[in-house]
Amino acid sequence: MLATALSASIVGVDGVPVRVEVDVAFGLPGLTIVGLAGSAVLEARERVRAALRNSGFEVPSRRITINLAPADLPKEGTGHDLAMAAGVLVASDQLDASRLARTALIGELALDGSLRPVPGVMALVSAAQAAGACDAIVPVENAAEGAVVQGIRVRGARALRQVTRHLAGLEQLIVEGTPRRDAEAPPDDAPDLASVVGHAVGRRTLEIAVAGRHNLAFTGPPGVGKTLLARSAAALLPLLDEREAAEVSRIHSVAGLSQPRASVSLRRPFRAPHHTISMQALVGGGPRIRPGEASLAHRGALFLDETLQFRADALDALRGPIDSGAVTIARVNGVLALPARFMLLAAFNPCPCGWFAVDGHECTCEDGMRRRYQARLSGPMRDRLDMIVFLAPISSFRRTGPPEDSSAVFARVVIAAERQAERQGSANADIPPGLLDDRTGFSAAVRAQLDTRARQLGLSMRRLHRAARVSRTIADLAGSTLVQAEHLDEALLHRPKEMRA
Amino acid sequence: MIGVGTDGPTGAGAGSDAGIRATERDCWIALSLVPGVGPAGFARLLARYGSAAAMWRAGPAALRDLVPFGDQGAPGGELHWRADPREVARSLQQATERVGGRVVTGLDDAYPPALRTLDPRPPTLFVIGPQSVFLERAVAIVGTRRASGYGMSVATEIGDDLARAGVVVVSGLALGIDGAAHHAAVAAGTPSIAVLPSPIDRIYPPRHRQLARDLLRGGGAIVSEIAIGASIGRPDFARRNRIIAGLAEAVVVVEAPDRSGALLTAAAANAIGRELYAVPGPIDAMASRGCNRLIADHQATLVTSSASLLRQIGLARGERPPTVNALSEVEGQVLRHLLERSGSIEELVDRTRQQPASVASALAMLEARGLVNPFGGATFHPTVAAKRLAKVM
Ligand SMILES: [Zn+2]
Repeated sequence: MLATALSASIVGVDGVPVRVEVDVAFGLPGLTIVGLAGSAVLEARERVRAALRNSGFEVPSRRITINLAPADLPKEGTGHDLAMAAGVLVASDQLDASRLARTALIGELALDGSLRPVPGVMALVSAAQAAGACDAIVPVENAAEGAVVQGIRVRGARALRQVTRHLAGLEQLIVEGTPRRDAEAPPDDAPDLASVVGHAVGRRTLEIAVAGRHNLAFTGPPGVGKTLLARSAAALLPLLDEREAAEVSRIHSVAGLSQPRASVSLRRPFRAPHHTISMQALVGGGPRIRPGEASLAHRGALFLDETLQFRADALDALRGPIDSGAVTIARVNGVLALPARFMLLAAFNPCPCGWFAVDGHECTCEDGMRRRYQARLSGPMRDRLDMIVFLAPISSFRRTGPPEDSSAVFARVVIAAERQAERQGSANADIPPGLLDDRTGFSAAVRAQLDTRARQLGLSMRRLHRAARVSRTIADLAGSTLVQAEHLDEALLHRPKEMRA
Repeated sequence: MIGVGTDGPTGAGAGSDAGIRATERDCWIALSLVPGVGPAGFARLLARYGSAAAMWRAGPAALRDLVPFGDQGAPGGELHWRADPREVARSLQQATERVGGRVVTGLDDAYPPALRTLDPRPPTLFVIGPQSVFLERAVAIVGTRRASGYGMSVATEIGDDLARAGVVVVSGLALGIDGAAHHAAVAAGTPSIAVLPSPIDRIYPPRHRQLARDLLRGGGAIVSEIAIGASIGRPDFARRNRIIAGLAEAVVVVEAPDRSGALLTAAAANAIGRELYAVPGPIDAMASRGCNRLIADHQATLVTSSASLLRQIGLARGERPPTVNALSEVEGQVLRHLLERSGSIEELVDRTRQQPASVASALAMLEARGLVNPFGGATFHPTVAAKRLAKVM
């Protein structure tokens, strides 16, 4: 007899519903899986057989065929195990089919019949819900994550036996409640600005960058505080809205990172991969497409400490997402886009020894070596930065009371972010060039000012647009509807400049 | 390789008839191309044999006389002597003319008068640019390639002041101080002379090719002692530096660490009797160690300001009215602080007690008007125009 169970698969960062069709027929005993199944899916044969046996069921000694539909969709992962096992039970009359129809079954089976968590449950449950399922059973570890999805009852189970008893009506698995959102506490690993001494300009530019989601680089000698300052951005980023938060959590869930974000957090992600990271791990891709750090930083910040130490191909690969907000990956059957709209934070020494252009210090680098080092930033990467700020060592500066803490800056950032959302429905960094006019507060006078500065400083169109967007944020922080000349000038001062001697 | 070495036309051996029929100038040129014969060796041979033609007729034996004196190691190139000097001179002349230059020997009227006073002097020069620039008053500005923002700013100011006073700025086209001095002179519209450590068709460093073009367009000249096509391993800085000092009536060292090429130029200046000036720097700055030592050892005159330098050289500072509109209060404040001492934005925020935002926009405005120079965005320096404006502020 034929049975159908509902499961789901991940494509890129989205879930796609999958029908698991099981046919048990007379013939040589065996279990065949068809329907573009990847290796992990094919291995389900052994897991499903053992789990069934060890849960006290009989593995029918007949010919079992499992088809995963749609057949043209490549399927990966172990999340189909539970649906396959349930399908086999129904097809061999060991379980009543009635409750199987509108219940999605997601989870990996251990040989002893217990359920193991799988990545991407949020996306998988969403797909099931969209396909018309009213219920979903997931591994208990994934229940909270799945329960974020509205319009579907999500139940957590520990073992195949529990699932079959629930489906048979012998036991009720508890519906996971919608996760309660705790007050959004700032991330504990983000340094507080109260611990940053001096660097008035560094703090100011960080505030601007975070408020408008502009790309900012800090440079300066070693130990000057570039990393500390950049890392403190984690606690300054404005909160996500509900729609964005769901999107971010789904990506993190697919990447198997749901643990630190068990529920949907409104905090923007802050990712700081090490400079030894491979290109694939940075932007995503690979035979099994996984979101890279660029996608994990979607709607948040991607911090590249020691930026110029990153592999050249990895840095190059970031150009696409910086321009378009997505990583595009070519596949056999089309192009896949992984969302990756992040603000870039960079920090690097001005030269290999670190003391180039620091007044009162000597750079001990050989000329060619220093030029090669600085050339890594040149061209495309430099063009995509909005501001480069040189942090000078703090020597004997006047101290003016305790430094402002992160919460005070965060409060200003939130207000500036709200102004942007109200005005153009996006962060200032994402204003299209065509919208840089009266609608976004650029009067004819300030546009003329832009033209003058472009001529005086020899700026490209792209550079001009970037400076204009930054000036829009400076005006927002100042509470000004119109961008003023002084806002523009402040933005222009921090534009990336050639380091030369 | 042109005209020399194994590719050169082979004729009779040493002491051949070709040497007899060739002119003194041909032999002079051919002889100055023989590897190992530097200016000193050439001068000694000339003193011994009386003429270049006589030297050529003596053949490799003439060179062996040089060995005990060891001008530049063991003289080589036996093969050179098989070449016809007329052929050597003609092909070198052609190659030089192809890149818009000319060959100038110590026999020619066009030989720079300032270099005639040198002993020994470069036997042959390769020049692009008008001969008239070598007749003007000239001052050399030299310094380290790894200049600080301070050094760049001072070199620019002195270069600009000298150029505006009509003085030809001589330097080595190197990165750092040299480049700043040439840039300033070119910007001021006065011809400048660049002495290369490489042949005139191979601008060294390559990054200054555009500067070299601008310099020539501004009526300046490019000079080298190295023949086009000569196979040189490393650029010859020592010989180049001597020519820089030789072409100038005074040498100003702006920034020079210990054991730098600029100090060789300084030593050459003292050796050949050129006025030597040095710009002091912080005592803990490596880049200024050499300058400070020159001053401490009384080898160089201390430069207290660009204006005082001009007065000492006997020039009046060229005045040009400021063309900058009135500044806002913060802009004026920031500029005044910068004129006092260059600094980072951070320092300026601290010193002016203004908000980072207003200091930043003031600096951007000052940069746009050409009053402030952001050295890589790290330290801001007032430009020459700002210093000029300071007098009316
Ligand atoms: Zn260095």
